[in-house]
Amino acid sequence: MKKSSEKQEEKMGKSNFNSFIKLCLTVLFIVVITEMFGTKTFRLGPGRVVLLPMLFAVVIGMLITPDLLGSKIESLKKIISMEEVKMAGSYVMIALLPLGVKYGTLVGPNIVEVVKAGPAFLLQELGNLGTVFIALPLALFLGMEREAVGATASISREPTLGVIGEKYGISSPEGTGVLGTYLMGTVFGTIFFGLLGGYSAATGLHPLALAMASGMGSGSMMAAASGALAEAVPEMKDGILAYAATSNMLTGVTGLYSVIFLGLPLVNFLYDKLYPFFSKKNRGDK
Amino acid sequence: MSLNFDRSLEYLKMLIIVGVLILIGQRIGYGVNVMPALPGMLIVILISFIALTIKDSFPGLKFPAFAWASLIALILSMPFMPTADFFLRYTNEVNFLGTTTPILAFAGISVGNKIEKLKKLSWKVFIVAIAVFIGTYFGSAIIAQIVLKLQGII
Repeated sequence: MKKSSEKQEEKMGKSNFNSFIKLCLTVLFIVVITEMFGTKTFRLGPGRVVLLPMLFAVVIGMLITPDLLGSKIESLKKIISMEEVKMAGSYVMIALLPLGVKYGTLVGPNIVEVVKAGPAFLLQELGNLGTVFIALPLALFLGMEREAVGATASISREPTLGVIGEKYGISSPEGTGVLGTYLMGTVFGTIFFGLLGGYSAATGLHPLALAMASGMGSGSMMAAASGALAEAVPEMKDGILAYAATSNMLTGVTGLYSVIFLGLPLVNFLYDKLYPFFSKKNRGDK
Repeated sequence: MSLNFDRSLEYLKMLIIVGVLILIGQRIGYGVNVMPALPGMLIVILISFIALTIKDSFPGLKFPAFAWASLIALILSMPFMPTADFFLRYTNEVNFLGTTTPILAFAGISVGNKIEKLKKLSWKVFIVAIAVFIGTYFGSAIIAQIVLKLQGII
């Protein structure tokens, strides 16, 4: 009995080690080809689209997973199976840390300017509520009901997931809503903000204001948005990255409270006001 | 306090892997040679490790390790700190964009187990999520623009 369990453990350790090697070599391969390919920028209408190596890396990483290309190509599934997918999750958190250090080194030397902009940093946190005014009416228009409250209270990163899960239960309609936005952000967030970050410079908003906006409480989304913005406006690169990192750190502190005390009450208030109007309209359509 | 030797070793192993990936990536993408960048990378790994240890030691704080890493580096690099020169000289050899590529390669692979769940979502969720992204981003940007202008910074 003892022997077989030992054997099993040994086998587990071995498969773990194999997964580790396969995952690391795959990521090395992705890093090498995306860095060789380099950054591509092109004009599109009034703005510039910036495609950074990280953008190609996330797309390739996603494509080679078992449910996408892996489902078509059997040998790919042998390299990246669900085992490696699971392992990759814990590496994301670790791989983010060197970036965190780099962001710190960008804020530190500019600390005086950053502190001077303190009021802007604090007030722009309220701007995250912008989602309620734009996305909630749209969700109701599309016929969503209480799901809309969860889906649009905030950008639905982990703290929001926790708050809504606790308040309504994660299998409630509100929970379904917040999980939907969370999932969308996790899968498409970096791609979306990587494209938007560079292009948003064409809106006429100041690059430093846009940089503040890119700190939304997700390290990878912030990196995608501010990295692309910094490439689009290279002469302000250091300021952009310093502002983005500071704003993101601030959201890490205030994000949770802003959802509890501002986001959720506001979204519920607006829901009560708007829902009768939209439900009447939706009934009328039918 | 919940310090754990095995876990610390695991963290170190993962950080070294990530460090190697960054060094190779930035050699190819940004022409930074590996040897001159090595001391800077060791400093980055050390700070990352300290950040993880702080986070594990104070689980009640809910401040992510990523933010601890930024905060430590921020303090060490402030202009009036004696560490600033030394610290910035070495960490400058670690390229900012070079650190992002491995993260997103891992992140891309890690969402592989969410594809099936994603397929089950309605197209409405897709549209609403885009509106959430845009609302959050431009909501903050517009307020920041107004306040920065009032302050005379921009």
